[in-house]
Amino acid sequence: MLDEALVGDVLRRARQGGADFAELYVERWRRRALRVLSGEVKEATSGLEYGAGLRLFYGTEVVYAYTNDLSPQGLLEVAETLVQLKGQAGQVDALGRGGLDFRKAVAQGLHAPQVPFTAKDKRYRLERLREAEAGASVGPQIKQVQTNLMEWEQEVLVATSEGTWAEDRRVRTRLYVTAIAQDENGMQTGVMGPGLSVGLELFDRYPPAEVGRRAGLQALTNLRAKPAPAGTMPVVIGNGFGGVIFHEALGHLLETTSVAKKASVLSDKLGEKVASDCVTYIDDGTTPHGWGSQEFDDEGRPTERTVLIENGVLKSYMVDRLGSLLTGYRPTGSGRRQDYTFAPTSRMRNTFIAPGTTPKEKLFEGIEYGLYAADMGGGQVRPGSGEYNFAVKEGYIIRRGRIEEPVRGAMLVGKGPESIQKIVAVSDDLEMGPGMCGSLSGSLPVEVGQPHLLISEIVVGGQA
Amino acid sequence: MTFEEARDYLLQKARALGLEAEVLATHTRELTIQAHGGKVEEITQAAQGGVGVRVVVEGKTGYAYTEERTPAALDWVLQEAHENALLQSETGGFLPAGGTLGQHDLLGEGLSAPLEQKRQAALSLEASLRADPRVRQVQMTRYSENETQATLGSTQGVSGAFRNGYALLLTSAVMGEGSSLKQGYEFDLAKEFHALEPGRTAQQFLHHTGRLLGARPLKTGRYKAYFEPKAFAQLLGMMGWFLLSAKNVLEGKSLLAGRVGQKIASEIFTLVDDPTLPDGLASRPFDAEGTAARRTVFIEKGILRTFAHNSETARKMGVENTGHAARSYKGVLGIAPSNLFVEPGAGVQMDSGIVVTDLMGLHAGANPISGEFSLQALGLKVEGGEVAYPVENFTVAGNFLELLTRITALGSELEWNPMMGIVGSPMVEVAELSFAGA
Repeated sequence: MLDEALVGDVLRRARQGGADFAELYVERWRRRALRVLSGEVKEATSGLEYGAGLRLFYGTEVVYAYTNDLSPQGLLEVAETLVQLKGQAGQVDALGRGGLDFRKAVAQGLHAPQVPFTAKDKRYRLERLREAEAGASVGPQIKQVQTNLMEWEQEVLVATSEGTWAEDRRVRTRLYVTAIAQDENGMQTGVMGPGLSVGLELFDRYPPAEVGRRAGLQALTNLRAKPAPAGTMPVVIGNGFGGVIFHEALGHLLETTSVAKKASVLSDKLGEKVASDCVTYIDDGTTPHGWGSQEFDDEGRPTERTVLIENGVLKSYMVDRLGSLLTGYRPTGSGRRQDYTFAPTSRMRNTFIAPGTTPKEKLFEGIEYGLYAADMGGGQVRPGSGEYNFAVKEGYIIRRGRIEEPVRGAMLVGKGPESIQKIVAVSDDLEMGPGMCGSLSGSLPVEVGQPHLLISEIVVGGQA
Repeated sequence: MTFEEARDYLLQKARALGLEAEVLATHTRELTIQAHGGKVEEITQAAQGGVGVRVVVEGKTGYAYTEERTPAALDWVLQEAHENALLQSETGGFLPAGGTLGQHDLLGEGLSAPLEQKRQAALSLEASLRADPRVRQVQMTRYSENETQATLGSTQGVSGAFRNGYALLLTSAVMGEGSSLKQGYEFDLAKEFHALEPGRTAQQFLHHTGRLLGARPLKTGRYKAYFEPKAFAQLLGMMGWFLLSAKNVLEGKSLLAGRVGQKIASEIFTLVDDPTLPDGLASRPFDAEGTAARRTVFIEKGILRTFAHNSETARKMGVENTGHAARSYKGVLGIAPSNLFVEPGAGVQMDSGIVVTDLMGLHAGANPISGEFSLQALGLKVEGGEVAYPVENFTVAGNFLELLTRITALGSELEWNPMMGIVGSPMVEVAELSFAGA
């Protein structure tokens, strides 16, 4: 995206105030969004974003600047300002170690789209959304259906004064259907939102009518659901997006951003038993076409499959460059940022609990009375204590081993590190679900996932 | 390509394609210096800008934007906006006609101080706070400045540009006395760096937050309320503006729909928006569609005179456009105030009641559609015409429209607040409101 000589000049200039390390991040995005409500286009927008971020390290002190004036003058000015702002803080090294002999790494196209965005026109997309809407109309109680399509194409270049030069191209597509059902007792929603690192073949992998139908059925289930009971009870959490609980209550505690500051209850626990034996927790940036996959992280390092917890024992954290400097742990290709306006931090990619051996049906056997949280919604976590609360989006009562009537409004409450000790059985039906994760370096696409699993006891906040 | 060149390129291409188009380009430069523990902890320097296009084809409106200013990127934007327009079902879109609006500089050299002085401003604010033994922790101290250049043009003849900006000192800290702890924040905002005084901002913080130490519980009841300017400005910026936006009126969300010409507030209450104020932080020579700026009186002595309009809402409602169109280059056409303020009155004579000094949780606790609010507040108990003691752990609740009719006095001094837009207010006395506490 940028001329090699210019990149070299900017990095050299940036280090003249004595910085040990300089990194230039350049990106170009094309984004499109289409929103259809009751058959009518409510929003159709397109945008091209283009900018660069320059980050300097003085030991573990970091300064960051960004611009979308990518002319040679614009970029050199940014480097100049950063140097001025910081002052002559260290030894001036006019030559700059490295920085000129770039080792070029270009993406292999592991997640490249099969049906590029240019292959179809906007009418085609509108028709698919209308199919999803029709699919969601599963009964007269469905009063309103909203469908969204998001398309992202991102080109990235990361170059550093250590000679890193990585170019990546990331294409992502997501379909999102919200169905609203209403009867004399009230209004309930159902949602379904598949997304992958693919082009328009998303519609082949997830036929829109079926996506819509599942959103519609969820809305109807919630409409006939009764208020959830409250109390401590065994809970079976469904596969796929159910993994959001452990993303929030466990994953975030394993990022060096909090580990380095000792702000995580799981700091300094490598090699220790932190979960029950049946828990293996993995963060994988390489899953083919995963919503959170990319070939390089936003610091130019190849992504990898990082085993965080193996059979209950803590094996690794998620480590970015700054985290590695602060803790001494090896970087894991986990440096991510929303866009050029953010400096990267350690973040998750596709994070999941690995499949176990218990057949799904066996999880329910022996539960006298409990909750089946088939699908999860949003929640909150405090990383310092691991305390979390999550809303159950689709829940059922388990009685004498059987899944019975639906309940709504259930809230799961607990502490992440305690809850992972209480996972007593993990099934073999791993599924992943896409989401957007918000943290210090912005909002990022990630997958969360797990097989069905049984937690021996968890506090359920309900109404009844 | 410069922003002006990009604008001209796009308009020329649009004309050649027979499209009606409007181009809005903005460019923002920001500098933030954050001090912590006597050192500069974080510096962010940012320059961000882009070009947003609105096109109208067969009465259908489409948008697209770009941050890259090459012919290829600009061609892409025009084509995308065109395609996006054709997908729309709604017709009746149009671009307003206009003329040459000129180049305006509302900022001048106000921010051109040396970096070192700006760094010192942040450090000295933090140091002044720490000098008071009651300050337990300074969480954040920041100097920041913002400079924005906006350029507008359309195939219907609109053309103009302006530049504006501000400098800001901001801090958040915890004060303690005995077992009483209070977290507060303070800011000072000006169009010139040299108008900021870190020592004054620190004194204001110590006064505003220090007076709340040793707060006692408040007994639940109905009290006369004295809203300090900061508290009332937040309520007005969120609830008042929502009710006045013609977009919300058209969408059936405003309680004020159909009430133009009627008395909706106390006869001492006059609400004005004035983009032409010489020192106004949100002043603008024209709005996002090129409608020339002028003063608008929304509420005059209690009577609702008009809603806030852009060309689209004005045409739909068959009334005059008030010039409140707003749009970022990434966004779609909306409505926003400039310098919105309550005209000061004759002054407030306190007898007994609660001084509401700050409101919290406005996004969750204030519902502009119903007008209801129930908000956690900080305040002071007034007895016999004097402040008796601070109070805490209470909420103040009511209906915003009802509150407007019960205003009994207004302070004589206007203070500006940047929390919810740029909103000015004097102290506002309200006959009686419901307070829930111990």
